[in-house]
Amino acid sequence: VSSANVISPRLRQQGIGKSSDALLGFLLVLPLLVTMVGLVFYPLLATTWDSFHRVNPMQQGTPFVGVANYTRMFSDAEVRQSWGNTFQYVALAVVLETVFGVIAAALINQVKRGRRWILAAIVLPWAMPAVVSGVIWEWIYAPGPGLLNGVLLALGFDYENFVWFNDGTLAFLLVTLVHVWRMMPLTIVIVLAAMQSIPKDLYEAACLDGASHPRMFFTITLPLVRGAIAVAMTNATVYAFNLFDEAMVLARNSVETRPILIQIFLEAFKKFQFSYGMALSLAVTILSLLFSLGFVARLHKSTRLE
Amino acid sequence: MKLDRRTLILASTALLAFTGAALADDAKPFAGQTITVLLPSPQDDNMAADFEKDTGIKLDLQTASWDDVSTKVSTALLAGTAPADVTEFDWSWTGQFSAAGWYLPLNDAIDADTQQDIKGSALFNINGELLAVPYTNDFRVMLVNKKHFEDAGVATMPKTLDELVAAAKAIKDKGIVKYPVGLPLSATEGASTSWYLLTKAFGGDLFDKDMNPLFTSPDSAGYKAMAFELQLLKDGLVDPAATGLKDSEINDTMFAKGLTSIMISGEPGRLGQYSDPKQSVVAGQVAAIPVCMASGATRSFGLLEGLGIPKSSANPDAAKEFIKWMTTKQFQVRNYTSNGVLPTRTTALADLQQSGKLVSGEALVAQAPTVEPLFPAGAPTWYPQFSLAVNTSINSAAKGEITVDEAMKRIADAVAEAKKQ
Repeated sequence: VSSANVISPRLRQQGIGKSSDALLGFLLVLPLLVTMVGLVFYPLLATTWDSFHRVNPMQQGTPFVGVANYTRMFSDAEVRQSWGNTFQYVALAVVLETVFGVIAAALINQVKRGRRWILAAIVLPWAMPAVVSGVIWEWIYAPGPGLLNGVLLALGFDYENFVWFNDGTLAFLLVTLVHVWRMMPLTIVIVLAAMQSIPKDLYEAACLDGASHPRMFFTITLPLVRGAIAVAMTNATVYAFNLFDEAMVLARNSVETRPILIQIFLEAFKKFQFSYGMALSLAVTILSLLFSLGFVARLHKSTRLE
Repeated sequence: MKLDRRTLILASTALLAFTGAALADDAKPFAGQTITVLLPSPQDDNMAADFEKDTGIKLDLQTASWDDVSTKVSTALLAGTAPADVTEFDWSWTGQFSAAGWYLPLNDAIDADTQQDIKGSALFNINGELLAVPYTNDFRVMLVNKKHFEDAGVATMPKTLDELVAAAKAIKDKGIVKYPVGLPLSATEGASTSWYLLTKAFGGDLFDKDMNPLFTSPDSAGYKAMAFELQLLKDGLVDPAATGLKDSEINDTMFAKGLTSIMISGEPGRLGQYSDPKQSVVAGQVAAIPVCMASGATRSFGLLEGLGIPKSSANPDAAKEFIKWMTTKQFQVRNYTSNGVLPTRTTALADLQQSGKLVSGEALVAQAPTVEPLFPAGAPTWYPQFSLAVNTSINSAAKGEITVDEAMKRIADAVAEAKKQ
């Protein structure tokens, strides 16, 4: 006999019982559901639908164009270059953020006193709006009175009026550096939290067995924070695909540093090719999702093995 | 009923006061309303207070650089909202915005006499609809720092591009400034307009009458213009940092501070600001000269900027009052002396010239008749694609990433692609 059957009608009236619990659960979830449908699923469906049409405010009607907006991106040289830039941003940013983020987390994990202050300082770039960090770095990289040139000049190097963004490859690396500077704190925080949950007994036992610090790092720490690293890499990937502000502030519309998101902005809001911009946006979303799923799948596999 | 004299006087006074108040209300029918206005900086500091005093309408004036205003206007309009009740309306937006139907026709608000006096109105009149009223008479001249020329021993102002380069080299050789030529090479609109002007200076045009590109051949004016820009950079006459600077930044941070001697694509409106000792360290040193040519008579083109009202504006009637107010002769004359905005009214320009207030009036008067529209048939709907391809290609070529040949091909390809859409 289920518990619901033994609950008296009086108790049910008072809001106790299986159906009233379900109703309460539904009501609690409802705001989230409405928000998700209104702000995520509906716009996503509407964007998908529109991407198969020609939506251009300068042209009458919105005729169905099939996959034309999707096939066009393969023949569009500018879009191809922007995709190329984006993939390079993603690869470089994810590698740098992960490698240096894990190292930084391991070092901070060793700090016994004042860790919270170090963490507060490290998190600052991440907490800062991307445009603000872009402007700060614009001053650092500035050709004339820039901080970087000033420091190099003080060190005796001939860098007076050196223009860092006049070399495409260098400009690309500098934009990536700003993005990594901004996003690495997230990796540090995620990995550090995982490191702090590792039982100390494991290190003590390894120490008694005569294991060195590097050996403990590779045989105890890294395997046990694998899951956290996967989560951090997923974040890093999504954010690198969404790189916009840093490139826009530092190099404006320059082709050499233009990520796909700036290209989408130009297609939609400068050229008014709205549906083409939508198709590109969906392609970014799908690719970003696929990459992230790859990390999550690895995470799932590693968790099962553990 | 018999009225005594005292009662009669009181009644008359009350009637007069009532009539006066009613008349005042009639003169300010939108008093108490608030409108937002979005324009490129700089604008007159007293504009909001003066407008409110004259009309009773409160003005929320927002300013930003031209490129930023352009972005804000297009994103808001695409989203179906009004970027402001009155916005900047550039000459180059006419084709696109007319096709999109985003702006209110102003035919009923702007009378025929005003349109006759503001001849540039024709550029914003499409299919019989006046979409904007020009408020700044922007065309291109060259701006020079006369003192730099004198210090370098250059006695006469250049008339040809060769003379201009020779003068720049003399200024550089004397060590007066490191980079004598101000030329934006960033991926922004200013880089495009400089190239358009130099294309005219080399005696050519951008497109033929069927809108086919005329700049792909190495002996074309457009091709030579870009090669000329890169040569100036290579010769150390243009600051290499210009690849990251907008035209407004070169104007404000270099020319206005005496760090550069020649603005290739100079804005005549800025002369007032540069000649004011309170606003400029080069007051008394700056002058306009007609655009130097490779050969032949000087040429220029107009970049008129207008005021328009988005259809999504919540206060279109009060917004029309602002446009009428800002394009009056009185305001245009005052806006030139206080803010350097060159009037679009022929009568306002004539007044300034007659009163001797027009800085470099002689050069401006010589250049004005040579001003041509960049697109005689009106700005095409694909202008943004073209302009974007131009400035990004100039930027890449200036950084040595592509050759002039590749830059020209990239621009022509962008035009072909845009025409297909």
